[in-house]
Amino acid sequence: MVWDFKLFHITHSRYLLHDTGGADHPETPERLRVIASALAGLNGCCRLLTVEPTPPEKEWLLTVHAAEYLLRFEEVALSGRSYLGHPDNQLCYESFEIAILATGAGLTGIDLLEKEAGSRVFCSVRPPGHHAEKTVALGFCFFNNVAIAARYWQIKYARRRIAIIDFDAHHGNGIQSTFEEDPDVLYVSTHEHPTFSFPGTGYAEEIGTGAGEGTILNIPLLPGAGDAEVKNAFVEQIIPAVEKFRPEALIIAAGFDGHQLDDMSGLLFSTELYGYLGRKIAALGDRLCEGRVISILEGGYHLPSLGASVKEYCRGIMERRK
Amino acid sequence: MFVTNFMTEPVHTVGPEASLSQVKELFGQRKFRHLPIVDQSGRLIGMLTDRDLRSAYPSGLMDENEKKAYLKRFKEMKVSQIMTETVAKLTPKSTLDDALLLFDRSRVGALPVVDDQQKVVGIFSIRDLLAAYKQLFGLGEKGSALIVVQDDGKPRPLTRLTEALENRNVLFSQLIRDVLSRPDNGLGLIYVRVHTHNLSGVHAALAAAGFYAVTPEAS
Repeated sequence: MVWDFKLFHITHSRYLLHDTGGADHPETPERLRVIASALAGLNGCCRLLTVEPTPPEKEWLLTVHAAEYLLRFEEVALSGRSYLGHPDNQLCYESFEIAILATGAGLTGIDLLEKEAGSRVFCSVRPPGHHAEKTVALGFCFFNNVAIAARYWQIKYARRRIAIIDFDAHHGNGIQSTFEEDPDVLYVSTHEHPTFSFPGTGYAEEIGTGAGEGTILNIPLLPGAGDAEVKNAFVEQIIPAVEKFRPEALIIAAGFDGHQLDDMSGLLFSTELYGYLGRKIAALGDRLCEGRVISILEGGYHLPSLGASVKEYCRGIMERRK
Repeated sequence: MFVTNFMTEPVHTVGPEASLSQVKELFGQRKFRHLPIVDQSGRLIGMLTDRDLRSAYPSGLMDENEKKAYLKRFKEMKVSQIMTETVAKLTPKSTLDDALLLFDRSRVGALPVVDDQQKVVGIFSIRDLLAAYKQLFGLGEKGSALIVVQDDGKPRPLTRLTEALENRNVLFSQLIRDVLSRPDNGLGLIYVRVHTHNLSGVHAALAAAGFYAVTPEAS
């Protein structure tokens, strides 16, 4: 079966140049190579269009991050040091500029969606973003790609109410801390339970604060949880929460490290689960926000299952459910 | 590991002659609920809690006349009349473990810390104990995960485990070998809190040393 609408795959060859030092660092350029070749296998069943992002203006980074953090990051990268803050956050001379370009993928994707309603967007970026906070690099993340995309959508296109769904195996502490007092952004995350999982946040009791109380939904899963637990969370909690919130756009923090072969978590998701998530998310986006859904890569480190899972997810989001 | 690093100091104290209405005012203004009572040289002679004070205060169930008479008496009462004289206490050399065991035995919410002359140098509450263990267990900041592995039954498990982590520059905080609650196979569990996102690298290092993570179900 051939679908007549487009899948924009937003990525850039410069993303491969973000050097995390080799050794056993799992966040490697190879991740994007396996995704690109897996998605090439989708051609024939949809129009796969690879698009390069435009580098964003720095003002968009400043909607989430502090100016002094940008200066510090740039200085560390250009001075030739090998990491920012914690040895996990390995970088190279070009990393500052590449991390900016990574935030650009979401912005370019949003521009495309606003021009061509009905198309689908998947952004394959490095470095990932959901652990990065206003002034902190954490867990391989430097700039919070998803949070910046949300602010861009709000400011440039006046889509005020944004829902973010994060199915990475780890809690997106940076997305949560950006929006926990903001009633206009819903953040929903499934992740391995914070006791057993990096970074140790995302307890169900964290529900947002002040005006944002009730706009954070954390669904921790114990190690060993698999497809059944996630499907149940989607049907029982996530879909009703997003429907009730009535978003004007959906952003997906798409991490694939919950896969059973990925040892970055103790979750046991199958490849097929990501197809299920793609279908559910696309249907939700079509029903609530005229298809304004953008997915941005977070984690996923076991290369064969990363490629297969992203392909399955994209196949899922291309299957339109009327 | 010593309570002095985590106790509250300086600590507010009153003498035994202080009136209950003075103390009531003090509890109302400040955010503490435990008050050491000291003599003129600052030596501990008792403790007074907000609960002691509430018990001494007229009950809402009393009729008005009864209440008035009681209130008059309350205002004249002195701390020494209702304080607890035999109190459990810590010293500057007490460890957090000492405090935990003492809290468990004495069933109080806070313990005074006294020096050799019985002078009060601080107060240590259950909340202080929680904060201390939170810090020592590495729970205070974002960026860590608990790894649970099974003791493999071979010699020197902790040496091999810490060597595997330190050889790869993995920062870790809590390291606990549970020697008391052993499952059927007789081998205990080892808990280690690692401060890194590279859990893949941690698992590889531990596997090379013969350790495998266990899930909550298996443990």
